[in-house]
Amino acid sequence: MSFSSTAGYLARRAAQKERVRILYRRALKDTLNWAVHRHLFYRDASDLRERFEANKHVEDLDTIDKLIADGEASYNKWRHPDPYIVPWAPGGSKFTRNPTPPEGIEIIYDYGREDH
Amino acid sequence: MALRAAVLRHLRVPVQFFALARRECQPPLCSGGSLRLFSSHDDHLTKDEVIERVLSVIRCHPKVDPSKVSPDVHFQKDLGLDSLDTVEIVMALEEEFKLEIPDKEADKIDSCDLAIEYVYNHPMAS
Repeated sequence: MSFSSTAGYLARRAAQKERVRILYRRALKDTLNWAVHRHLFYRDASDLRERFEANKHVEDLDTIDKLIADGEASYNKWRHPDPYIVPWAPGGSKFTRNPTPPEGIEIIYDYGREDH
Repeated sequence: MALRAAVLRHLRVPVQFFALARRECQPPLCSGGSLRLFSSHDDHLTKDEVIERVLSVIRCHPKVDPSKVSPDVHFQKDLGLDSLDTVEIVMALEEEFKLEIPDKEADKIDSCDLAIEYVYNHPMAS
């Protein structure tokens, strides 16, 4: 009984740690989206870090779950409507915009009737 | 007119001569002679360049002791960072190489050699 409960405890802890890491990652990216200048971002990021550090030593699993849920709700509430997307990624400004092929390259559309 | 066209068709000017003569009086435009095409993604990073840039990013993190950084360190075991610092480093790497790493994959990157491997194998790293 003790082994299974320990394993259950560890699994739940690991899942919580992963949720916190991903929440911190998304929140940090969102902080960068909201910050107009880099020097504003640094202060906001350290504030965000302090909010995470404040609950670092909480031990009770249910309390941790509640804190994570609160954090995720707060993240979803303040999420940036138009976040920065890397240009090549889906939604980015260069997504599926390919350079024209070089001179002399001709695309022949045979639609399945190529001789090979 | 026909004569002029015929002459022009057969006239060959040694371009190299002019290029050499011009190089003597003004410095070359791009040092090293390498031409970089801004629209191309064919110029993949070399492994050495990836390693060097990843290490410089990690050294710049305020909680890292720069003398301990080497290509095979583990962020939490060797550098004494916690999981949130790891998240910050991975985000700094994303900005350095102009990447967008999905959350689940970024979560797996917890050591320097994994980061180097991921960036080196990413087709859009630049």
